[in-house]
Amino acid sequence: MDLLKETSHRIVSKDRNDMKCLFNILNRLVFSFLVLSFSQNSFSGREFLGEVSFEGRYFSKEGLFDQDKFHSSISFSPEIYIESEDSKKSFTFKSKFRKDSEDSERDIIDIQELHWTIVGNIFETKIGIRKDFWGVTETVHRVDIINQTDLVENIDGEDKLGQPMINISFEGLHGTFDAYALLGFRERTFGGQNARLRAPILVNTENPLYESNSEEKRIDFAFRWNQYFSAFEYAVSHFSGTSREPLFEIDLSKQAPLLRPLYNVIDQTGIEILYVLGNMALKLEGFSRSGQEDRFSAATAGVEYTQIGIFESRIDLGWIAEFNHDDRIENSPISVGTRLTFNDIADTQILSGLLWNQDTNEKNIFIEASSRLKSCCKISIEGVIFTKGKKLNTFNPYREPQGLFDYFQDEDFLKLEFIYYL
Amino acid sequence: MALKKNIILFLIISLSSFKVFVEENRGLEIALMADANTSGFIDSRSNMRMLLKNKKGQITERSMQSKIMEVEGDGDKSLIVFKTPRDVRGIAVLGYAHKMKTDDQWLYMPALKRVKRIVSKNRSGPFLGSEFSLEDLSFQEIEKFSYSYIGEEQLNEKDCYLIERTPLDPYSGYTKQRVWVEKENYLILKIEHFDRKFSHLKTQYFRGFNKYLNKFWRPSEIEMINHQTKKSTTLLMEDMVFQNGFTERDFSQNSLKRSK
Repeated sequence: MDLLKETSHRIVSKDRNDMKCLFNILNRLVFSFLVLSFSQNSFSGREFLGEVSFEGRYFSKEGLFDQDKFHSSISFSPEIYIESEDSKKSFTFKSKFRKDSEDSERDIIDIQELHWTIVGNIFETKIGIRKDFWGVTETVHRVDIINQTDLVENIDGEDKLGQPMINISFEGLHGTFDAYALLGFRERTFGGQNARLRAPILVNTENPLYESNSEEKRIDFAFRWNQYFSAFEYAVSHFSGTSREPLFEIDLSKQAPLLRPLYNVIDQTGIEILYVLGNMALKLEGFSRSGQEDRFSAATAGVEYTQIGIFESRIDLGWIAEFNHDDRIENSPISVGTRLTFNDIADTQILSGLLWNQDTNEKNIFIEASSRLKSCCKISIEGVIFTKGKKLNTFNPYREPQGLFDYFQDEDFLKLEFIYYL
Repeated sequence: MALKKNIILFLIISLSSFKVFVEENRGLEIALMADANTSGFIDSRSNMRMLLKNKKGQITERSMQSKIMEVEGDGDKSLIVFKTPRDVRGIAVLGYAHKMKTDDQWLYMPALKRVKRIVSKNRSGPFLGSEFSLEDLSFQEIEKFSYSYIGEEQLNEKDCYLIERTPLDPYSGYTKQRVWVEKENYLILKIEHFDRKFSHLKTQYFRGFNKYLNKFWRPSEIEMINHQTKKSTTLLMEDMVFQNGFTERDFSQNSLKRSK
């Protein structure tokens, strides 16, 4: 377990010595797990997989901080999966290596998953670095808190960092009960000087502030209980530990101001509700949190509806509308999205979405199309536009922006991604 | 005179309704016999290969693993995990079929580690670009249709009963299905599917039957031909194993997350 804790705070590293250290830890971990697995001789399924991905982003204008118009990166993600014959035990290892043309914060060596699953007669135990998702809504995830958000991977916040943990799960007549001991903390990732998109003040990720004296070594706890009755599903969860979402303090001690992330210790209780009504799903998720200034709550509620075979074609059209509430923000934006599923051999899909701030009439629009090329590869194209914000030409830390996207007015971009599966 | 007329009329009506009743019963009887082949197996697992053929005859392949378990007094539980192509690897579908109400289904998205409820009641759309719909692939519980007996017919030199069934589910993609049931072992050999406009949409063939555990017949190949798109999909069942000792926990949301 010490090994896991040790890796937890050193996983994203840029320094060469850190990398070396990480490799050592990694090797020891992988080796120990492999020894464990092979000593049990009945292991049948062994799979070595991998993918290489190329990503290019082209921005319509140069950045507010003179960032380049063209950003590209290449990444490699190898994966090992070993399973016992009866499928009761398995080992998963997945890591990611990336080199970015502009932003050094995106140059990473990361362990995304490194865990061991044991399905016992009563409990299911998972030990190691894992990802686990909580929630029911599509556009904003309120209750999802086990894993830290990886903002350099994608600004949409859907990507997560692996979390070292022990997770025990019990499935009974009254639903599924999950208990988690979260071994150590991983900081949120933020882009650097040349990153796009980036906050107007750089985030000092080298030097975060922690409320807990154990800092990033604190052990956090969480549980979730979820239950299902045909059309109705719900979950109740609680998290007690270091907040994944930081507050920021402005550090004016250097020549340029910096934001220092402040990670408080919080208690957060969450609920998730899903109700199937005909062809529609009604969803609600929200939480109440204490420990970060005053107690506050936030929630997202919405509907999802799918039309099968529009205009007598093979194409399905899905609709999503979601409304947000957050005690900390006066008016939260509304999100609307559609998904076109072509049901063709290449599994072509087009997603589009709109985030609309009613107050300022600001809009963030995206459209993303993806398709398979033969069986080896996948390609996706994404366009993102920000409109109607009050454009700020220079940065002034003492002047509060009026809208959500004031700093993103020059950040419209087109992204092309190509994935090759090994 | 009037009384006599009425009696004759009554006789005619009751005779004709009796004929309908017999035909309905005969159809249901045959369906029940065919269904007996598929029940009592407890559980099974197999590897499946799906061959998608387009108009020009070009073939694309997908593979998956499936597990099925019978549930007493209700529909079967199933878990399908995709293996190829690589970009859909690890995507899994968990299904709880029900005799009377709509089935419950969940989808696991491995990239997000997320279990998501599949909401649509309408399952008539193409499944992963194939000519099969989710409806075609789910369990055809007896209670979900009404039946009528059409007659006897030969199919590939085999004597068959021909029955017609009408889906009772208002969300079904079909208005009518003609089913050929082979007389000797009550095996379904062919189904013609009629769409919501009553036109002949697809024909499904079941081939290569093997007998497992001395009583359960299973086809090793199911072909679905779409007459409107001229495309077809063949589903090949391989390495079928019965009675694996599966429990509820092999068909839970946790099992979805474990599937690889």
